[in-house]
Amino acid sequence: MSILTIENLSKSYGRIQALKNVSFSVPEGSVFGILGPNGSGKTTMLGTIMDILKPTSGSYRLFDELPTHLHRQRIGTLLETPNFYHYLSGVKNLEIAAEIKQHGKEDIPRVLEMVDLTRRKDSKFSTYSLGMKQRLAIASCLLGNPKVLVFDEPTNGLDPVGIAEIRDLMKELYREGKTIIMASHLLDEVEKVCTHVAILRRGELVASGNVNEILSNEDMVEVGAQNSEKLMALLQNMNNQVRVAKEGGMVKVFFPVGTANLEFINKYCYDNGIILNHLLLKKKSLESRFFELTNN
Amino acid sequence: MLHLLKIEWLKVKNYKAFWIFSILYSFAILGINYTGYYVNELSLQSLPQSQLLLGTPYAFPKVWQTVGWMSSWLLYFPGILFIMLLINEFNFKTHRQNVIDGWTRKEFVSVKFVFAILFSVVATFFNFLVALLFGSLTTGSSFSFQGIENIGYIFIQTVAYITFAMFLGVLFRRSGAAIAVFFLFGLIFEFLITLLINVKMNLVPVGYFLPLQVTDVMLPIPFGNKVIYKDSPDVWILVIASLVYICGYYFFAMKKFTTEDL
Repeated sequence: MSILTIENLSKSYGRIQALKNVSFSVPEGSVFGILGPNGSGKTTMLGTIMDILKPTSGSYRLFDELPTHLHRQRIGTLLETPNFYHYLSGVKNLEIAAEIKQHGKEDIPRVLEMVDLTRRKDSKFSTYSLGMKQRLAIASCLLGNPKVLVFDEPTNGLDPVGIAEIRDLMKELYREGKTIIMASHLLDEVEKVCTHVAILRRGELVASGNVNEILSNEDMVEVGAQNSEKLMALLQNMNNQVRVAKEGGMVKVFFPVGTANLEFINKYCYDNGIILNHLLLKKKSLESRFFELTNN
Repeated sequence: MLHLLKIEWLKVKNYKAFWIFSILYSFAILGINYTGYYVNELSLQSLPQSQLLLGTPYAFPKVWQTVGWMSSWLLYFPGILFIMLLINEFNFKTHRQNVIDGWTRKEFVSVKFVFAILFSVVATFFNFLVALLFGSLTTGSSFSFQGIENIGYIFIQTVAYITFAMFLGVLFRRSGAAIAVFFLFGLIFEFLITLLINVKMNLVPVGYFLPLQVTDVMLPIPFGNKVIYKDSPDVWILVIASLVYICGYYFFAMKKFTTEDL
């Protein structure tokens, strides 16, 4: 079953097109990262599927059904900022959220404990620090133990310990079999917790799929010789490489992660009559992959 | 709807401003009518002839109308309160969160209006008690249900003021702007526009049909009203016009809230 299916979703704000014909689907049990720089349309997309923004065109389905408020009650959602009544305490705010989601109060102590807010539950929301507000919002998402969670920049405003805690929490939720949809501009966050990823750039979907395929961490070797044409042709016939590209005077050879072997390359070229004047292993970083996907 | 109201109640139950405004409003109703009653008693005792001019506004059956008219000056209290309750949601973005958590947009709007109506029921009942109190205290007055329809007019007027205030809140989305327009329009501009239409352009009674004015004419000043509201239409027409306005605010808010981005 698909938890969320988006079909040709577009959204314009006047002349600005925030989403352009985006389509993808989120499989059950995945941790689905929506990755993109600021202003790429991540929050707009999540806002649309939560019915607080109206799409210009396109449609979406939740749990393979036409979406209604009842579906939203079964999803724990944190969108953009923690939205609570400033004059109410943390626990009173959760009571309101629990009532709207049609759950009783009995789950409130559990979720407060999960985000370590029990001690401050009776303080007014307006007295909370940024990190505490964020944790209260996450607690609210967890009310009623929903099968699907939507987090928009969940580690916003948290300190390093808080960030680690939230990542652990997400991994735990994933192990429990929950589906998590998470928007983030932090690449390593997505890399560390996600099984699937969709990459947005200026409202367009650049890529989506399994995180290992999309953000595959290839090894890259820079190779140089006097006759680069000949070198290129030779390397293209070499076993085990993924692709070869020429850049400047150098040839770049890509290998599946962890399989580049410099000695083998050197020997292979020498045995085939080419003397190398440059041989360097460069691990291709996720960052550069991300920039490659989003910047060109 | 009961469940929605329960949630709305959770929102206001611990909101201090709600209780402060409500208590001030109650005391103001009591106070303004006590002042009226006291001045009336004083003038009756010191100058019995004044009765010929002013009538007996705090005696039954006139007291139902008098209390309604006096209290109508205080309707800005609940108006501001409901603007605040609405704008709070926009400022805290809880209107979005309520929808995200599983309310429909319709539910958000309708429970706000139903809550406003319930508040008006309580306010009207309080006015009824105040009228009962001062009607009984006034010298030479004996209880009568005659004119009790004025209690119904108080209710309609209260709902009309509060929903007009909420309409402004939905329109401007800023409490400062909504409150300023509410006051300026209610106290000054509407009066001027009525004068312009009725006197300058000689289009009586068109000027009586402005949003708040129409309820003011429905519950007119209890002394010499035919002088103030010359050629005013039948009261049932004013009642219908008020109800049309209230429905208009509701449909406007509903339309805006269900079709636009939140």
